[in-house]
Amino acid sequence: MAKLPAPQELIASRPPFPGEHWLALKPEFSPGSFCYPAKPDTMERLHMPNPHEWDPAADDWGLPENWEKTLCDAFAERLEKHRSLKLFMDICVRCGACADKCHFFLGTNDPKNMPVLRAELLRSLYRRDHTMLGKLLGKTAGARGWDKSVVKELFYYAYQCTECRRCSLFCPYGIDTAEITMIVRELLHEVGLGTHWIMDPVKNCSFTGNHLGIQPHSFVEIVEMLADDCETVTGIRPKTPFNKKNAEILFITPSGDVFADPGIYTFMGYLLLFHQLDLDYTLSTYASEGGNFGSFTSFNMAKKLNAKMYAEAERLNAKWILGGECGHMWRVINQYMDTYNGPTPANMIPPTSPVTGTVFSNAASTKMVHIAEFTADLIYHNKLKLDPSRNDHIVTTFHDSCNPSRGMGLLDEPRYVLKAVCNNFVEMPENTIREQTFCCGAGSGLNTEEIMELRMRAGMPRGNALRHVQQKFGVNHMACVCAIDRATLPPLANYWAPGVTVSGLHELVANALVMTGEQKRTMDLRQEDLPGVEEDETDAQEGGE
Amino acid sequence: MRLTECLRDEKEEILRLWMEAVYATYPFDAKGVLRTVSDPFGNPGADMTREAAHALYDAVMGEETTVDGVKGALERFVKLRAVQRDTPSRALGVFHLLKPIMRQRLLPHCTDSGELNGYLAAESRLDSLILLAFDMYMADRETLAESRVKEIRSQHAQLTKWAQAFKKSLLVAG
Ligand code: SF4
Ligand code: SF4
Repeated sequence: MAKLPAPQELIASRPPFPGEHWLALKPEFSPGSFCYPAKPDTMERLHMPNPHEWDPAADDWGLPENWEKTLCDAFAERLEKHRSLKLFMDICVRCGACADKCHFFLGTNDPKNMPVLRAELLRSLYRRDHTMLGKLLGKTAGARGWDKSVVKELFYYAYQCTECRRCSLFCPYGIDTAEITMIVRELLHEVGLGTHWIMDPVKNCSFTGNHLGIQPHSFVEIVEMLADDCETVTGIRPKTPFNKKNAEILFITPSGDVFADPGIYTFMGYLLLFHQLDLDYTLSTYASEGGNFGSFTSFNMAKKLNAKMYAEAERLNAKWILGGECGHMWRVINQYMDTYNGPTPANMIPPTSPVTGTVFSNAASTKMVHIAEFTADLIYHNKLKLDPSRNDHIVTTFHDSCNPSRGMGLLDEPRYVLKAVCNNFVEMPENTIREQTFCCGAGSGLNTEEIMELRMRAGMPRGNALRHVQQKFGVNHMACVCAIDRATLPPLANYWAPGVTVSGLHELVANALVMTGEQKRTMDLRQEDLPGVEEDETDAQEGGE
Repeated sequence: MRLTECLRDEKEEILRLWMEAVYATYPFDAKGVLRTVSDPFGNPGADMTREAAHALYDAVMGEETTVDGVKGALERFVKLRAVQRDTPSRALGVFHLLKPIMRQRLLPHCTDSGELNGYLAAESRLDSLILLAFDMYMADRETLAESRVKEIRSQHAQLTKWAQAFKKSLLVAG
């Protein structure tokens, strides 16, 4: 008679001693461990190679006949094109400094999620074809050849890296595993492997401008509705200038803030701030998406989608571009835009704040200013009347989003603004903020609901630090300057630190902003009652009697 | 040796063995980091395991504790296991791993000193804790399921409002 296994046997995820080398253990494509594949129709319309129906859980992924040659050639071509890639392949000394720095590794404890081993998946292929030792000694020199399971493995781990760059901070050579992941994703696209959550927005951005594919007239109506909501709260209906020729400033922000909760409140914050400043600016229905889903796909796609910013600045004859709170949008602007789309159209000039006269010389080349810099400058010059006590029910911390912090060094400006509009601010532990910040766990196109568990484990180090300040200092709010974070952090907070709400920076700015001619604020932008306001009124009435 | 003394003397070793057993459920190459990096924020998984280990031991051994207190101490660990493992048994089975360790390290002393009942009571307390952990696990899984639904709704929140307003205006016009 068979016996039931003991608990130890039931729960073991591996035999007591591994029978195989780590590289030989292949990942299991169980539901929840992968993102849904892109639709053939989407890929066709984008002229991507080998559009086809496939299922990551199936054995056969429908690779084209000449898949191996395609991949080898594509890899060789990229090694030729990006000197950095070749360098990253050559110089890793396997010191292990990066090993425990990746949130995916910390959350999953899967060794292939150590940045060094994630890169080794590609490096081993590199050794076979591009190094003398690898050619001669093969496996002994850590080389391996392509096979279909290797392709699957690359897919699995390229979409378990959020391209956050935390690992590169600790690498003595500055090897940027995020860039290696980007290349792997590019290679996979050569044989038709992409994910729905990324490619659908890429398609929408390509055809209609924003990631949901909302037509221009509807886009305007949606923004108008947000202006109506602003009026309900403040008594002032802010202007919503669209496609205005010769406006001084073109404002571009991720469209997530027009559609998604809680991003919409940040967008309302922009409208109110610009209205109060009487800024000569315009929104655009064409450049209606700052976020660049192309950057999760390939360098060429990123370049194509980014081009509309300058095209629109030229068409509308804007002098410079103000950019909203976004993560990867700013990574692209700060790291790649000059090469992709520069030089700027002739009508653009180095950005100067019309309110303070500050010249943003840091943006002399791209002519794009981050709104946190813009607002920090306003506050520094005392140009905003603020009542931070309206945010007194909030004890806030600040999440440094990977891209603004590690991709562009925007660390102090958001904090400066946040401290000016909130009286209660608490930092999370030192090794989880600023350059060392932990990713939300779902950046770079991974914030899709089918991998919710994966996101929660990848976001665990962030959630854990948040929970710490929640329990120790009563933090009940987390601000951030990234639209993707505004989507990914609420479920993360709800899981790891329930009770903490998430918002953009400019939602809090607008809550504290004292506007000319406004009605008495009794609620915040979410139309939730401001604590204490009613009692004040009763007190005042009683006092008057 | 009396049970109380024995519990005190064996604590460190039992905790160490249990944490080793937990780490053994992770891939071999990951174990090194889990065991050696002690920063609570740099290696939160190990910190969660440590916190759970202490709470578990104290509660099982009959130290003064409240249900809320012990739940609080196990919470992070259960949350982590709930998103790391695909079945409830694989997620929560780690608590059962304490039993063989207790039987190895404590049972012989207890039999010698005639305190078998005391030992059995400790094992029963472990069973209670596992039941508590099971409730916590289920609540965590519920939260995940809700998050999925909520997220889909939030992504299109403003779009939905707009569509509803549009529909209303059509009705009024029609
Ligand atoms: S870039 Fe971020 S997610 Fe990718 S390997 Fe490095 S630390 Fe991990
Ligand atoms: S820190 Fe840099 S050199 Fe060291 S193992 Fe990681 S990638 Fe290689």
